[in-house]
Amino acid sequence: MELDLNKLFEQADTKMLAIEPSYEDIPPGILRRMGKAVRMGAGAAMPIVKNNPKPDGIIIATANGGKEDCVKFLNQIIEYDEGLLTPINFVQSTPNAIAAQIGLLTKNHGYNITHLHLGLAFEFAIIDADMMLSENPLNSYLLGAVDDISSYNYNFEDKNGWYKKQAITNKTFYEINSPGTIAGEGAAMFLVSGKRSGSVAKLLAVDTLHNEDEFLMKEKLQDFITKYLPAGERVDLLLTGENGDSRLLKYYSACESVVKDNVSVARFKHISGEYPTATAMGLWLCCNILQNQSIPGHMMKYAAPTTRYKNVLIYNNHRGTQHSFILASG
Amino acid sequence: MDRIVVTGMGGISAIGTTVAENRTSLIKGTCGMGRLEMFPSKFSDTLPVAEIKLSTEQLKEKLNAFEPGITRTTLLALHAMKETIAGSRLTDEQISSLDTALIGASTVGGMCMTDEMQRDAQKDTPGSEYLASYDCGSTYMYLQKRYSLNGPVNTINTACSSSANAIMFGARLIRSGKARRAIVGGADSLAKFTINGFNSLHILSPDLCTPFDEERKGLNLGEGAAFLILEREEDATGKKIYASLSGYANANDAYHASSLSDEGIGPYKAMSDALVSAKLDPAQIDFINAHGTGTENNDKLESMAMLRLFGKVPAFASTKANIGHTLGASGAIEALYCILNLEEQELYPGINFKNPITETGLQPLRMYQKAKLTHIMSNSFGFGGNCSSLIFSKA
Repeated sequence: MELDLNKLFEQADTKMLAIEPSYEDIPPGILRRMGKAVRMGAGAAMPIVKNNPKPDGIIIATANGGKEDCVKFLNQIIEYDEGLLTPINFVQSTPNAIAAQIGLLTKNHGYNITHLHLGLAFEFAIIDADMMLSENPLNSYLLGAVDDISSYNYNFEDKNGWYKKQAITNKTFYEINSPGTIAGEGAAMFLVSGKRSGSVAKLLAVDTLHNEDEFLMKEKLQDFITKYLPAGERVDLLLTGENGDSRLLKYYSACESVVKDNVSVARFKHISGEYPTATAMGLWLCCNILQNQSIPGHMMKYAAPTTRYKNVLIYNNHRGTQHSFILASG
Repeated sequence: MDRIVVTGMGGISAIGTTVAENRTSLIKGTCGMGRLEMFPSKFSDTLPVAEIKLSTEQLKEKLNAFEPGITRTTLLALHAMKETIAGSRLTDEQISSLDTALIGASTVGGMCMTDEMQRDAQKDTPGSEYLASYDCGSTYMYLQKRYSLNGPVNTINTACSSSANAIMFGARLIRSGKARRAIVGGADSLAKFTINGFNSLHILSPDLCTPFDEERKGLNLGEGAAFLILEREEDATGKKIYASLSGYANANDAYHASSLSDEGIGPYKAMSDALVSAKLDPAQIDFINAHGTGTENNDKLESMAMLRLFGKVPAFASTKANIGHTLGASGAIEALYCILNLEEQELYPGINFKNPITETGLQPLRMYQKAKLTHIMSNSFGFGGNCSSLIFSKA
């Protein structure tokens, strides 16, 4: 399917379900048994692994991956009153099943790990990859994240008030000033190495904060920019995870106030929906922007006159308390 | 950079609620397995489990932890964390410092509230107090809040090797300068979910598990938690150093979702890479705390991998015969036991063993003994082929 990022698929339901391809790289017998998160994760990873030398390890982030199978197994326990149950749902329900399945499909015996820390899972996966590359400068790693919408997370989060009570579309969701957002799902995978030539982008820095205080977050962001932005350069684009939840606007406003007025601001959650590892999708879109040097109109919140996008700052806030800061450059 | 050392630890398992109690039980060869009593289950009379004999209510009382939504997994983690912090020389300022990391692990997380989770997952039922507690990260977010931690806090899941990977990740954060000290470990509680899950794979033993025995029938599930404090040696002046973490490795078997390859590629590579990272020869390992779950598959393949790597396999044993398989906590609890071995220069008997596996002839250590120990290896191999190996060395 030819990808045109300028086109936004309108989502009218309360859930932004992923548009899944036919997964030609996964053998059908194996594909059939995969839970959705494993399918999306492996599906996004296979093209990378197919077209590049074997990575030295697989570093995956997921907060909810596998939980659909978890609920299926739970339902079995209740239905069959702890009788003899089929194990496939149990085995597929472990969050490390995504990284494990990718390793299995590609016979990769290298480093294999899964990070789970909710809205910061992907950020820790990046930190892990960064450390692995410092320790092994000639290596390359598959780095990515996946989360799926399952009755596990959807009903829990809905009952906890994280989603809009009214049905809205992704075309208007920044405009409705009310609590809650729209659930999304997706997988984004990257090949990371220390090799500059042929690369799409450079990850300059990543940092995390766990705190409710927006002033502390502002301070941390200022320090982050001062410390990591190359001398004499500027932030060309601020890409945020603003998600239509009115309760979180103060964090995004604080973030926007830190960068100067003449910096473009764009948003991505209307494309991905909200899920704990959505920043991976933000990074994927950032790479596209850096490569194509253009931002789809529907992503733009504020367009500053910019001749070239070099340094992109990605800020995301997960449920108020988890803040992530990523600096990437083209 | 100089050594990464252990300057604090705490742990709870079916054989002890503190490090000291665990040690006493290990010396005596205590078996922590018994009847499942904490929640009603069809398996209460048929599957031995290593349950900590403190009810969830008792844990809440003891720890003054009555927040809505708090789960048994979190309570066990808190219990071990309390002991770890109390015995350390960390100030409140250091605990809350931006350069103090908490890296945790869990496989069960809040899923120990199995019935509540199943109800909450249905569309039209009202939400329980546990809505935000089911995922594994919530335990460490609770500890973050309770201890006012401001540094990096992360949760790792690689099935049964989860807390070994948490230990590795913490060490690497220190080595890379991203943290100055790291509290690392894991926790898991018994849950209807995991009992039924492992039972569906036919790897639970109806009897007390017998690691490395020819007649072994499977594993017994356990529960527990343990944490270590890792620091750079140069920051540990004046502190008690329990041991150093001298090597570690993570490798993938890449063969099957829930069993190991015939060649034991993952276990072999994890052990071999750990030796390389520690700059040690196989002959320098004095003892191996094996993964040794008591399953047909693991014990045979771990044995074959040990034979292939070591030739002359060092003394080894599995403490899962004492405390069961504590899943996400196992890497950390077993690391703690290795540190006890080194600190006290002693080895604990491998219990419930009668006859070696015919193909390997390997026998775990059977008697408590004092021993000159310098380097000890601890193995943890999990579902998804996630294999890890840690090497601890004398302080």
